[in-house]
Amino acid sequence: MLSVKYFGAVAEKTNIQGENIPFANLSLQELVDELEQKYDLASLSYSIAVNQKMVQDKNSYMLMTNDVVALLPPFAGG
Amino acid sequence: MRYNRQIILSEVGEKGQEKLTQAKVLIIGAGGLGAAILPYLAAAGIGEIGIIDNDAIEITNLQRQVIYKSEAIGKSKALEAKAMAESLNPTIQINAIADTLNAKNAIELFEYYDIMVDATDNLPTKYLINDACQLTNKPFVYGSIYKFQGQVSVFNYQNGPTYRCLFPDESSNSKNCVDAGVMGISVGIIGMFQANEVLKMILGIGNVLSGELLIYNMLTNDQQKFELVKSNTTPFSRLDFEKKYDVAENTTLEITASEALEQIENKEVTFLDVRNATELPKISLPNQLQIPLADLEMNLEKLDSNKTILIYCQSGIRSKAAVELLKKYAFQKVQSIAGGALKLEEAIANNAISI
Repeated sequence: MLSVKYFGAVAEKTNIQGENIPFANLSLQELVDELEQKYDLASLSYSIAVNQKMVQDKNSYMLMTNDVVALLPPFAGG
Repeated sequence: MRYNRQIILSEVGEKGQEKLTQAKVLIIGAGGLGAAILPYLAAAGIGEIGIIDNDAIEITNLQRQVIYKSEAIGKSKALEAKAMAESLNPTIQINAIADTLNAKNAIELFEYYDIMVDATDNLPTKYLINDACQLTNKPFVYGSIYKFQGQVSVFNYQNGPTYRCLFPDESSNSKNCVDAGVMGISVGIIGMFQANEVLKMILGIGNVLSGELLIYNMLTNDQQKFELVKSNTTPFSRLDFEKKYDVAENTTLEITASEALEQIENKEVTFLDVRNATELPKISLPNQLQIPLADLEMNLEKLDSNKTILIYCQSGIRSKAAVELLKKYAFQKVQSIAGGALKLEEAIANNAISI
């Protein structure tokens, strides 16, 4: 299983705080592409963490089972 | 005796109190976050505090900006905040700066203060704070809210990661409290996290939240930290900084219709018609949006703040108001087309521009 967590405006769009997804041999980029399509996230900007660490190169990051992926958009309120 | 209860903490002591007295902290924004941060830093005895904000107090601010009194509606936030902090602690220096932070005043201010605290409500200003902190080599205490969630981090601390390492995509939009709504408690909690980082940094105690992003969820009390790393991108040089920000700020607020029309092929330019949809003459330009002035504030997310926005109305009066409004929301590249649609129509006819 992969676990995905959503924050801020991303969670608003997905309408859930997080979900489990059956594990598949995917790069982080491929998973993100799937989620973008599923939830229509293309208009949002966000950074991504895996297992609480920010990942910069999503293409070369191959997901492993039990990875926890977080989609983190910037907040602007104050 | 004022500081006795904190001096008796071994982590603070007389020495720590002296460090607080010597410190100079700039709070950028006297809104919800600023209203939480300022009284605690003032009460703790930070020797000199600057507070910069150009807004006046509005009635809708009072549910979260709890340092302001109902009688103060219409008064300057910076000046009211200064008066509040001075009566809370008359032994320290408070500098009110009733201005907007911009590329021109940022460098001078940041060179003077030791720590910059971000209490702003928009992304462009956060990038400006980040870049100016990097240039002046000062730490940037970040705090921000989205509804019931808050983010906190300390950037550019001892050469640590910056805001751009976390959010490299400057073109992103995120709603502020005006658009998204917010509880007073939420800005209070996040402001406290920020004030805590300031005090820890000055006192040299605990672990500073550098290289980490803290996210706090007020509804679930869930608190998570994410590690970030410094990206390899080269930092801004002074020249880059001036190029990026000064150019935008030096542009005059008005442009002639024929100058504007020279930009119709430019993909980096958006034409914004702030008339009502029924007004004539009808002008259709590529890259054009139509949002009546009255609806503009509610539709800011339709605009890309990275693009130059050329605004017109019928004769050039409403478009000036629109420029002022967008400037208030930290849009940097906005100009009003002098003479409005009437002049545009004339210029189109004269230049025989095919659109």
